[in-house]
Amino acid sequence: MKQSKDPFEAALEEQEESPPNSPVGEDELNSQTPNEPQNQTNGGHNLLVDDDDYDEIGPNVKNSSHPSSTSTCKLHSTIVNANVATGATTKNKEYDDDEEEENMEVELSKFPSSADPTKMAKMQAILSQFTEDQMSRYESFRRSALQRSNMRRLLVSITGSQKISLPMTIVVCGIAKMFVGELVEKARIVMTERKESGPIRPCHIREAYRRLKIEGKVPKRSVQRLFR
Amino acid sequence: MINPSTGPSSKAKVQHMMYGFGDDPNPLPETVTLVEEIVVEYVTDLAHKAQDIGSKRGKLSVEDFLFLIRKDLPKLNRCTELLSMQEELKQARKAFEVDEDKLATLE
Repeated sequence: MKQSKDPFEAALEEQEESPPNSPVGEDELNSQTPNEPQNQTNGGHNLLVDDDDYDEIGPNVKNSSHPSSTSTCKLHSTIVNANVATGATTKNKEYDDDEEEENMEVELSKFPSSADPTKMAKMQAILSQFTEDQMSRYESFRRSALQRSNMRRLLVSITGSQKISLPMTIVVCGIAKMFVGELVEKARIVMTERKESGPIRPCHIREAYRRLKIEGKVPKRSVQRLFR
Repeated sequence: MINPSTGPSSKAKVQHMMYGFGDDPNPLPETVTLVEEIVVEYVTDLAHKAQDIGSKRGKLSVEDFLFLIRKDLPKLNRCTELLSMQEELKQARKAFEVDEDKLATLE
């Protein structure tokens, strides 16, 4: 078995009925994400194949001790997160062709129901209307994650204790990812206020960080850091 | 304190994440570095606070982190989601392993 069968991946395979491809290196993932619009013009089948590659790449890239849990953790996204993510980016909603809708189905079936059929129906309705640009961004949002091994090392060095449990690293990775989201979204808000465009610059991130501190979303140090 | 193992792979992950959250497909390298630094500082402060809380109880546990983010509902919900999914996966894997043992004994 390539990876342990979790209920969420099983739903995907039921729909696809195509054997997954062999694992591909991370470079392919990096090059495929921006190239996705070009891939789609080749037809529906290619995107199906690409998605299988993503499935294999995701687990391989992440911590090898728990591959599938990472990919499924990232598959799970609350509606709140999705709405916040879509709202913050400057997206133009267009209606897709039938061909693109077919391709979207592949991604849709991967999403777990979270035991709520209405939520799932909402998600499918939203996702079916995504443009390629939106879809690729959403895919990056879902699949990206901080490395658990690095996080574990960081926690060990901070706490001085070797006993960092797996749930702890998972939770801290999740918290950190959401924190990155808060930073980036606030930086985008700052940019629209200043009427600037293009890639986010460090000054925007600094302003965003300052505002988050004022809102109390950043843990404050009781003692000022004197040495670094 | 920068994570000593900050290699090209972790920067790439942060880049993908930033793109997913709304940045350009190719974020500026200075921005990525800054975000990474801020995140490390954030995790450090969080872990220190959790340790302060945990030391009263004995050892550091997940509960301490959850207590710290209790006011931040999206984060709290996400964490409980992640934890319950992890439990589910653990159960699923356990069930799979039991089946394998049965197969082994049959043969």
